[in-house]
Amino acid sequence: MTCRVYEEQLSSYLDGELPAARAARLEAHLKVCPHCQAELDELGGIATRLRAASSYLQVSHDFDRRVLRAFGYYQVTGWTRPTKSYLKPLVIAALFLLGALAGVWHFFTQPLGPPPAWQPQPVMPVVAPAAPAAPIPVAPERGRRRR
Amino acid sequence: MEDAVRTTGWSTDGRLATADDRALVAACAQRKPGAFQELLSRYRRPAISLAYQMLGDLEDAEDVAQEAFVRVFQAIPRFRGQAAFSTWLYRIVTNLCLGNRRRKRATVELDAVREPIAPDSPSRQVTEVLLTRQVLAAMTPDLRAILLLRDQEGLSYTEIAAALRLPLGTVRSRLSKARMAFRQIWTDLSSGGGETAATG
Repeated sequence: MTCRVYEEQLSSYLDGELPAARAARLEAHLKVCPHCQAELDELGGIATRLRAASSYLQVSHDFDRRVLRAFGYYQVTGWTRPTKSYLKPLVIAALFLLGALAGVWHFFTQPLGPPPAWQPQPVMPVVAPAAPAAPIPVAPERGRRRR
Repeated sequence: MEDAVRTTGWSTDGRLATADDRALVAACAQRKPGAFQELLSRYRRPAISLAYQMLGDLEDAEDVAQEAFVRVFQAIPRFRGQAAFSTWLYRIVTNLCLGNRRRKRATVELDAVREPIAPDSPSRQVTEVLLTRQVLAAMTPDLRAILLLRDQEGLSYTEIAAALRLPLGTVRSRLSKARMAFRQIWTDLSSGGGETAATG
C-alpha cells in the first residue's frame, strides 16, 4: 500500500475507529514511514490547538442569569417562582356577593306598601267663587226729554 | 470571574453536583431546585466555546448558546434520553450556528488586540490561538462543525452522527477531510506570515 492509502486511514486510526486488522497494518507502516508518522502527529495536534483556543474564552459573568431569565426561571435568587394570585378576584367576588345578599335581605325584611313616611291627606272640598250678580236693568224715566 | 448565580449566595445541591447527566436531566424535568443551574454550570462553557469557534464572535456565540439552553430547558420534560444530553445540546448549538444569519466572517488579524483572550497569555500561545481561529474561519461550516464536535468536544463518531444526523461512514470521511483541511490551511497561513483569512 502507498502512503496515500495509509494517510486516508490516519484520522480513523487516531480515533480508534479503524478495524483491528487495518490498524495493525497501519501501525506496522508507521514504524517505517516517518512521513506518515509526522502526519499522524499533526492530526493529533489539532485537538490540542482547538482546546487551547477555546480555553482563552471569557464568558460573560451574567450569562447564567440571562439564560434563566429567558427561560422564565425565578430560582436564581433562591426565591420560588411567584404563583398566580387568586386572592384579589376572590375578594372582589366576596364583596359582590355580600352586597347582593344585603340587598336581598333588605328587600325581604321591609313591609310591603308605600313608605311609612307618606300619609294620605284629607281632601278639602273645593268651593267655587260666587258668580257676580247680574246687573239690574234700569228703566228709562218717562216724560222728560233729555237735553 | 464569578458566576452570577453564585454571587447571590445560592448554591447547587451537593447531590446534584455529583449526579450524572441522566439523573440531572430527570431532576430538571421534575423542576427540582438547582437542577437547571447545575446543568448550566456543566455545559455553559462547552456550548459557548463550540458556538464561538463556529461563529468567530463571542456575542453571537453567547446568544446562540443562550437560545440553545432555553430550547433544551423547555423541551426537557419531553426528552426521552435516546441520546446523551451533551449530544442533544451540541446538536442544537451546531444547527443554530449553521443557520445563524448574523454570522460574520471571522477574519482575525494576528496582530490585532484580542478582546476575548486573557491579557496575561504568552504571546506565542496567543498567536497560535489566533491562527487556530483564523484556520477555523477559513474552513467550510460543515467541516468546521464536525471537527469541533470531535476534537474540541470529544464526541464519539456515533454521537456526532446523532448530533448532525449523518451516517457513520459520512462522519468518518468528513472528519478526515476536515482534519486534512485544517492542517493544510494551518500550513498555508503559517508560511504566509499571518495574513488574514480570505476564504471560508
